[in-house]
Amino acid sequence: MSSPLLSVRGLRVKLPTAAGLVTVVDGIEYDVAPGEVFGIAGESGSGKTISVLTLLDLLPDGAVVEGRAMFDGEDLLRLGPRAMRDVRGLRIGMVFQDPMTSLHPMLTIGRQLTEHVRFHLGVGTAAANARAVELLEEVRIPDAAGALTAYPHQFSGGMRQRIAIAIALACNPGLLIADEPTTALDVTVQAGILRLLDRLRRQSSLSVILITHDLGVMSSVADRLTVMYAGRVVESGPTAEVIGGPRHPYTAGLLAALPHPEAAEDTPLVSIRGAPPSPQTRPAGCSFHPRCAYAIASCATDVPDLVGVDGDRRLACPVDPLRVPA
Amino acid sequence: MSLLELREVEVEYTRVGRPPVRAVAGASLGLEAGQVVGLVGETGCGKSTLARAAVGLVAPTAGSVWFEGRQLRPLGRRARSRADARLQMVFQNPFSSLNPRRRVGDQIADAMAILGLASAARRRERVADLLERVGLPAAAAQRFPHQYSGGQRQRIAIARALAAEPSVLVLDEPLSSLDASAQAQVANLLKALARELNVGLLLISHDLAIVRHIADVVAVMYLGLVVETAPTRRLWSAPLHPYTEALIEAIPRADGKGWLPESLPGEVPDPARPPAGCRFHPRCPYAFERCLSESPPLIPVAALRSAACWLHEAGGPERAPAAFARRTRLASAVGDQVDRI
Repeated sequence: MSSPLLSVRGLRVKLPTAAGLVTVVDGIEYDVAPGEVFGIAGESGSGKTISVLTLLDLLPDGAVVEGRAMFDGEDLLRLGPRAMRDVRGLRIGMVFQDPMTSLHPMLTIGRQLTEHVRFHLGVGTAAANARAVELLEEVRIPDAAGALTAYPHQFSGGMRQRIAIAIALACNPGLLIADEPTTALDVTVQAGILRLLDRLRRQSSLSVILITHDLGVMSSVADRLTVMYAGRVVESGPTAEVIGGPRHPYTAGLLAALPHPEAAEDTPLVSIRGAPPSPQTRPAGCSFHPRCAYAIASCATDVPDLVGVDGDRRLACPVDPLRVPA
Repeated sequence: MSLLELREVEVEYTRVGRPPVRAVAGASLGLEAGQVVGLVGETGCGKSTLARAAVGLVAPTAGSVWFEGRQLRPLGRRARSRADARLQMVFQNPFSSLNPRRRVGDQIADAMAILGLASAARRRERVADLLERVGLPAAAAQRFPHQYSGGQRQRIAIARALAAEPSVLVLDEPLSSLDASAQAQVANLLKALARELNVGLLLISHDLAIVRHIADVVAVMYLGLVVETAPTRRLWSAPLHPYTEALIEAIPRADGKGWLPESLPGEVPDPARPPAGCRFHPRCPYAFERCLSESPPLIPVAALRSAACWLHEAGGPERAPAAFARRTRLASAVGDQVDRI
């Protein structure tokens, strides 16, 4: 892989709770190449959202962060507040899950689309407005000029998410972080947003970190992905290989639990027994071992390392029960 | 007559100073004992309103709901009749539908006390049975909802509904707040309940893929109307209505092949101002002149299959919309077509 745009190493995040500091992200690492869509998959509570909020210093007060996140030669985790302001919105854009709450209900779309453009790029109102219209056309909002004076409530969920994407892309960032951008939307609308993301990254050399629990969504747009469970990466690699032939029992379990549009008739969904642990109650050893059908004695005590297997793939499972012998 | 039958149900919400919204504009459905009927559609299509009308939580402005051979009376100021208690509902969010301050067992036992289904002495035993039935340990009765995950809470909510010994359960998006693995567990549980307890389930969901695994029959709603009903397998393999076809094509596939789902252009129109003619025509790739002016009725196209689309005739062949030439897309200035590279 060419030199990565973002390189995260040994990222560990502890969040303050009533019961003291709790480790939510427990030593993850990944690289995002220029122009690729990199996926982070996992269920709620796996730490996938916290792991990216850390990159933009959006964690609650009292959070403890360790590790490195090199972005364009700078460590994002060591930036001061002033330097971070030049990263947020300018070099890294972010889109949140719920477009009903991520847009300000009392401000016009135009205001929300131009404020950071004027601030970061130092352009005048007229130029910022022209850029805003261009962006709204880019994300296919009808009557872009008219939309500038409209308010978020005048748009549907899908349109709001398109506007949120336009805001995130306004300053031409190198990296877009999209946290569950389609989860709050209907499938038909979701399909439109996925196509939009796919087109945007093909047109420009935009890198995207796509966070989603939906492996179907992941399969349609991500080039490479990493699967998180209980704060750790359990498996990563090219999407086609990981989803086409999962090696970690957790990834395989998640895929089996999905209703597949082309599955044979009347196949019951195969569910993983038990439930994911909360950050306070993560088991020792491999966090997945109490739910794993292949666990051996050492799984209960030793934390498995994420090691390279088969070229670009990495796996944190010493048992590797799903390996296809060559 | 079906166990639960909705006949031409209409529900209109009045709004001060604005035109009323007809959330459900004449929908008919039937549900038999032990059958799972999935009701699918996008946000704003009226499926939740129809579910609420089906259990009597909102009164239909026209049409009627029949349950166990009697007409269901919408909930008023007085207690629900004992017979109507055999129709129960499970809500979307188990974080808000369970009382956080009462023990799980007490919440489940309520129905037995109110309906006199079990003596005080027998209740504890019955609660344990129900918890076991939904896959939780009997000890859960002594605990509080916050001690459980979303999937487990949804099981508790299901156990609570089962306590009233219902013949029909109406479930409004029971799976959508759950993670994939919990979703699979609850989905399998629902199917088992229908088969083993012979309970009829009306399952409201926006997720066609999960409905396919549970439902025997699927009804598709669009903008207040049922546009297609069919046995699940046939609906899936050969959808008759262009909207059903679009819904199926929009589902992403977790196969690692990088297949981009098809997007349906445009948005669900404002139900207060539905388009003239067929309500789907502005987004339909097959629309022709007749669709602009005349609203198609839901007609039986084949055995057990109905569709409301001018492409099909009563008793006509079961042809997928794709068998007809796609005409130019009408109207729809809202253009994400361009994203169809």
